[in-house]
Amino acid sequence: MLAKIGMRTKRAEISTRLESSRMEMSAVTGWLSKVRYKIFGREADKGLLFKIFIYLILIDAAYIYLKPVLHMVTSMVKDAPDLLDPSVNWIPRVIYFGNLQDAWEWLQYPKAFGLSMLLSTSVALLQTFSCAIAGYAFARLKVPFKPILFFFLLITFIVPLQLTILPNLVFARVLGVLDTVVPIIVPALFGLGLKGALFIIIYRQFFSTQPKELEEAARIDGANVFKVFFRVMMPLAKPAILVVFLFSFVWTWNDFYLPSMYLANTDTPPLSLGISRIASMIREQAEISGPSIFTEPISMATTFLMILPPIVLYVFAQRWFIEGVERTGIVE
Amino acid sequence: MTRATKLKAAMMEYVEGTIFIAPWFIGFVMFMGFPLGFSLYMSFRKVNVVATGMTSSYVGLKHYKDILLEDGSLLYNDLIPFLQKTLFMVPVIVIFALLIAIVLNQKFAGRSLFRAIFFLPVILSTGQVVSELLTQGEGALGFMSKYNVSGLISGNLPSTWATPLIWILDSFVLILWYSGVQILIFLGGRQTISNSAYEAARIDGAGPWATFWKITLPAMTPFVFLNMIYTVVDLFTFPTNPIIMRVRDSEYGQFSALIWLYFLIISVFLIIIFILFSRATRSQRMTA
Repeated sequence: MLAKIGMRTKRAEISTRLESSRMEMSAVTGWLSKVRYKIFGREADKGLLFKIFIYLILIDAAYIYLKPVLHMVTSMVKDAPDLLDPSVNWIPRVIYFGNLQDAWEWLQYPKAFGLSMLLSTSVALLQTFSCAIAGYAFARLKVPFKPILFFFLLITFIVPLQLTILPNLVFARVLGVLDTVVPIIVPALFGLGLKGALFIIIYRQFFSTQPKELEEAARIDGANVFKVFFRVMMPLAKPAILVVFLFSFVWTWNDFYLPSMYLANTDTPPLSLGISRIASMIREQAEISGPSIFTEPISMATTFLMILPPIVLYVFAQRWFIEGVERTGIVE
Repeated sequence: MTRATKLKAAMMEYVEGTIFIAPWFIGFVMFMGFPLGFSLYMSFRKVNVVATGMTSSYVGLKHYKDILLEDGSLLYNDLIPFLQKTLFMVPVIVIFALLIAIVLNQKFAGRSLFRAIFFLPVILSTGQVVSELLTQGEGALGFMSKYNVSGLISGNLPSTWATPLIWILDSFVLILWYSGVQILIFLGGRQTISNSAYEAARIDGAGPWATFWKITLPAMTPFVFLNMIYTVVDLFTFPTNPIIMRVRDSEYGQFSALIWLYFLIISVFLIIIFILFSRATRSQRMTA
């Protein structure tokens, strides 16, 4: 009897020991899987390894984008001794604003800035508006020969600017508006101009994803098509408007091809044309007297002065812009 | 009576549509349609610029014949290397943009900062700015010269393909600068995939790898297509593109013929992409 009890207790002991070792085992595996989850992630996109991978890609790519900008900023404030000294690579010993001053004068900055501003703002405003109208017509309204018109729109998108530039130049000369900003701004009034077709397509995409019920309700309430467009659809289209405006502004600001055609003989060119003129001047000089390290800070300073305004604009609009891109689903 | 009002209402709808499209159409005729027709007409003529203006005489298909058959230096010398480069650049740009867009879609600390950085190219990458920024040899990748990659490539490939490939690797960074808008398009496109699709996949035990190939990529196919078209159009119409640079210094009639041929080539490229895409979506639909 006693022996039996002893046996039983022994067995119980063994079983408890087994149990505890099993528990230990499960603790180990649990810990292991916890580590595994930490590293690889329970859903594979929350793990450490994945995070490291993400940051690796992002930091690499961000470096690619930021390096030239940083290079620009540091090299434009270098003075002559810093330029000559090979030990000064990234961080200049003194911050020298002479280059910026020269660039400011060469570009005739206040005037050129005003001209660029006038061009970009008016083109952007006009395109934002006129492309919305055309985009709405393509998305929702009954238009005779719509497929053919849409084909024309696509043609406009893919035709190189150079194909149509000469007739347009002749056109401008006949009307006596050559060397003014008019031939660059007027096409924007009609929803053409730089990348106008792309903006119409963006609006078309946006409007065709909106629910039809809103318009129908407004129609039943007796609103005509203009009211529907201005009171219902345009307020809805805020994200698309922002995206188009910003794109249009920045692209017009940076474009130098159209100014180089239409504004070739003006004394103060817009900034984009100004820096391309300075660049070619430097290049010519380099051909005559050999390349010089002193020209680089100047060209960097001119570039800086040119891209500063759109960057400031972007810093302010950035938040809405990204949201806008996500919400419009820009294209579908 | 009701029929008449219905008819009238339908008419009204067309009138409204016409009013809305009219400004664009007028602009199209003035700034695009007429100039296009004019340049096509001029491509069959020889243009002389004289003091009083221009005179031109009919030469038929002479310009086209010259460009295509007689004088190879007009088109082929620049076009063929350019097409080779484009063939490499388009996939590089599209794949890079897709990768970045997917990564930017994850939730992680500092996301908004990275997003702001990745839109920099959109702000800066038109024309002069990039070339200014990247002229100092910033375009090359560091490891290229270290491991003599270009030596390896030119040793193993015929030179017609080695040259563009080396060029691509040499200006890799430059290429990435052209992918700003493409990243935006992919980011927008990624938002159209509903989260429930991912949840369902997760419940079924699909890993991230399978999820990417089975859900993300198929849903992104239209955007890949769109980006390819955008990239091709962008590359072909870029002002510093060699063929477009060339047209500046020829005579206007020949210039027109050249750029019309070039335009036809772009169209062929786009049609090829379009056919590939419609094949891809059809096979996708069949397997689904």
